[in-house]
Amino acid sequence: MIASDTTIELRHLHRYFGETRAVHDVSFSVRRGQVFGFIGPNGAGKTTSMRILATLDLPTAGEALVDGFSVLEDPDHVRRRLGFMPDYFRTYANVDVREYLDFFARAYGLMGAERQRALRRVMSFTKLDELASKPIDGLSKGMKQRLCLGRSMIHDPTVLILDEPAAGLDPRARIQLREMIRALADDGKTVLVSSHILTELAEMCDTVGIIEQGQLLAVGSVSDIQARSQLRAEVHVEVLEGADGLANWLAQRNDVDKVRLNGARVVFEHDGDRDSEARLLQEMVTAGFRVVAFGSRALSLEDVFLHVTQGRIQ
Amino acid sequence: MTTADGTSLDKAAGVDVAQTTSRRSRLDDLERWLERVGDRLNPILVKETRQALKSKQFTLTFLLLLLCGWGWTFVGASMVGPGIFYGAHGRELFFGYFVVLAFPLCVVVPYGAYRSLAAEREDGTYELLSITTLSPWQIVSGKLGSAVVQMIIYFSAISPCLAFTYMLRGIDVPTIFFALVYAFLTSAGLSALALLLATFTQEKVWQVLLTVFVILGTLLVFWILIIVMLNFVNSTIDFRRWFWLGNAMGLTAYASYFVLVFLAAASQLTFSSGNRSTALRIAMSVQFLLFTAWMAWFWFYEEPGQWPLIFVYLFIGGVNWYVMGAFLTGESSQLSPRVRRRLPQSTLGRILLSWFAPGSGTGYMFVIGNYLTMLLLALFAVVAARLLQIEQPTGPGVPRRLITALPLFAILSASYAIIYLGLERVIVAWLRRRFQVSPLAPLLIQTLILAAACGIPYTIYGLSPANYGNGYSMLQATNAVWTLVDAVDGRSGPEVQFLAVVLPLVALLTVVLNLPSIAREVRLGRLLAPPRVRQEEEDLAGKPLAPLAPVPTNPWGDVPAEPPFDES
Ligand SMILES: Nc1ncnc2c1ncn2[C@@H]1O[C@H](COP(=O)(O)OP(=O)(O)OP(=O)(O)O)[C@@H](O)[C@H]1O
Ligand SMILES: [Mg+2]
Repeated sequence: MIASDTTIELRHLHRYFGETRAVHDVSFSVRRGQVFGFIGPNGAGKTTSMRILATLDLPTAGEALVDGFSVLEDPDHVRRRLGFMPDYFRTYANVDVREYLDFFARAYGLMGAERQRALRRVMSFTKLDELASKPIDGLSKGMKQRLCLGRSMIHDPTVLILDEPAAGLDPRARIQLREMIRALADDGKTVLVSSHILTELAEMCDTVGIIEQGQLLAVGSVSDIQARSQLRAEVHVEVLEGADGLANWLAQRNDVDKVRLNGARVVFEHDGDRDSEARLLQEMVTAGFRVVAFGSRALSLEDVFLHVTQGRIQ
Repeated sequence: MTTADGTSLDKAAGVDVAQTTSRRSRLDDLERWLERVGDRLNPILVKETRQALKSKQFTLTFLLLLLCGWGWTFVGASMVGPGIFYGAHGRELFFGYFVVLAFPLCVVVPYGAYRSLAAEREDGTYELLSITTLSPWQIVSGKLGSAVVQMIIYFSAISPCLAFTYMLRGIDVPTIFFALVYAFLTSAGLSALALLLATFTQEKVWQVLLTVFVILGTLLVFWILIIVMLNFVNSTIDFRRWFWLGNAMGLTAYASYFVLVFLAAASQLTFSSGNRSTALRIAMSVQFLLFTAWMAWFWFYEEPGQWPLIFVYLFIGGVNWYVMGAFLTGESSQLSPRVRRRLPQSTLGRILLSWFAPGSGTGYMFVIGNYLTMLLLALFAVVAARLLQIEQPTGPGVPRRLITALPLFAILSASYAIIYLGLERVIVAWLRRRFQVSPLAPLLIQTLILAAACGIPYTIYGLSPANYGNGYSMLQATNAVWTLVDAVDGRSGPEVQFLAVVLPLVALLTVVLNLPSIAREVRLGRLLAPPRVRQEEEDLAGKPLAPLAPVPTNPWGDVPAEPPFDES
């Protein structure tokens, strides 16, 4: 019937705002207890997809399921098990931290001792204890982020959607956040977290999806993507003369990409392992190029990200 | 706060538990009881009351009210002068206090209710509220509840002053009581309306317009209430039958419209695949039933057989269904699978209940059904009165012409409504295929239809001087207002009588032309809820739900049951 292990599923999700294709044919799924990283530059469609999952927006076409419930048809069932942390924090006047959390606990139908337990659990998890009676409009950015995270998990949801939770946090808070998210996943929660920065997610995500201009460009485990980055290297070659010729010679090969000429130096990206790199050098020399320097550098996650996004868009 | 920690502390301190048990447990009971009550309270009410108690604005309004109350005490007392000890000046002073109280009740509280919802939607805090498990009902009643709490606080602020006016004599307790009740009901009704308005739009421009509208509207109502109450306070209540009848009728109308407004606001806040219409249609039917019951009471007991009553019935009922119809026929005809899970399934259920399911076609038929019911009931009333021999078609004060005018009015008004609404249905359906249609748009379109149908022929009439003095002509066939006025006036010439034959046929044609798309809606079969949903609903209900019959093909047998859910 339903693959009970899949807690988040997007099926050919589309969301257009007039001419803008904010989300265009995005499909992926996330299994229980996994952290899925959603990465893309500004305006890629991360927030739009997450808002649809959080039942705040409706898709133009396609379907999104949370724990087997359709966000379109059964948003009430989805809401019961979903915590959403938006990329903004809007305050109420004259409400303190404890009252704010208490309000949402009540709004999720928690009563009496159960509500007190939920408040205690969340406040200690997000280290908000000492801020309990601070008015929320006087909180710093980082405190607000923590409160926002706390609010999203007050009803102990099985699925958490966190839109750029790390934005505006100091390095220590980022590390704490990462630990919190890992702890949530270890607790069996499914987490969808977005960011602009791949490295930020690399350590806590089991799977990442790269999105750009509304389209999902790559999905895979972090190790997949890292493997890809090891298979791809930026190579610098310096020759005594005939750099143009070398550039032309390289451009014909299909394991070589993005050839640039930089004086006597040729820079390009090469697909393949170290072995094939050595073979490339050999062929270069055989072809008569007088190589004086040959160096290569594995691409960082950031480079992979840039590569994946640009390769598709231009 | 106490519970586990409390008891362990007691033990640690070696308190003589036995001695204090009974007192403690009673306190504990009280505390637990308070907490349980607090749990049952609406979360929004709890939050907003907490907020209000801390907010400067609330304190300020409260102090201002006290100040005005005291101010009026001094001003009023000094105006009356030493006579205050001898004369009965309670009325004058009471009226002053009433004005002081009515302003916050009629303006501040409803405007506050409007802002509290509109601001949440503007600021984006509403989003987080909407994805909690709070139902739209709870959201609206929470907002309404905090308005009522504010009202009560304002009442209590001014209550010492009111007691003071009673001691001054000149005003009796019933007058004070009823004046306050009317003020309270006005405030609550305005707050509900204000909340409904706040749900209609999220766009800045409209928000600004609506804000102006709310302020002006509440000021206007404040003004009217003051004028009405000036009369009320200055006259002695005549506690005869009519006072109670009037109040009971007024209360029926008030309560039924209040429920309707409340449900409309809640349905506006319901997620888009949910059922936003059935509850409203039921409320409308109940309201119509109550109205009919009152009219029957008058027709058979109070003013037996007075023909003008039939006219009142048809006029008020007709206008009511026309306005409701403008909303209902403007609904979308696309039913979400969610709604289709609860469509009536048996043949009888389909015949009787399909019209309560959402959709423009069912809405149109629902309104037509109610028009026809109304006409039949009016006819039944006349026949019954004749059989009971209580009919007085030509009694004193009953114009003779009603005998012919009423049937004309009945037939023509229903035909016009059916034609106009049918037209609206086609236009809105066309618009929906191209644009996002806002919930107020159908009303706007119906207004335009009415304006065009009446305004254009009237303008043509006005533009050609040759027509002056000729009065009604066939040019005005589309002009419902003029035609109906002429019909009721009894001045109707052959044209109106001709229309009384033709318009029902045109109305019939309108329905027939709408029929294919109506049938498409009605023929939709029920869908089974996905197993995942059913399972959770059973878990929540704590018991297995009645097994659902498999999806049948419908009684017409021409639409294959669609696959109820994706099996993959
Ligand atoms: N309500 C809206 N109306 C019109 N266009 C919108 C709306 N919301 C989003 N968009 C457009 O959709 C696209 C995707 O926006 P989205 O907010 O999803 O991006 P994002 O990936 O979250 O970006 P960021 O990293 O800046 O938060 C953008 O081009 C944006 O302009
Ligand atoms: Mg975003």
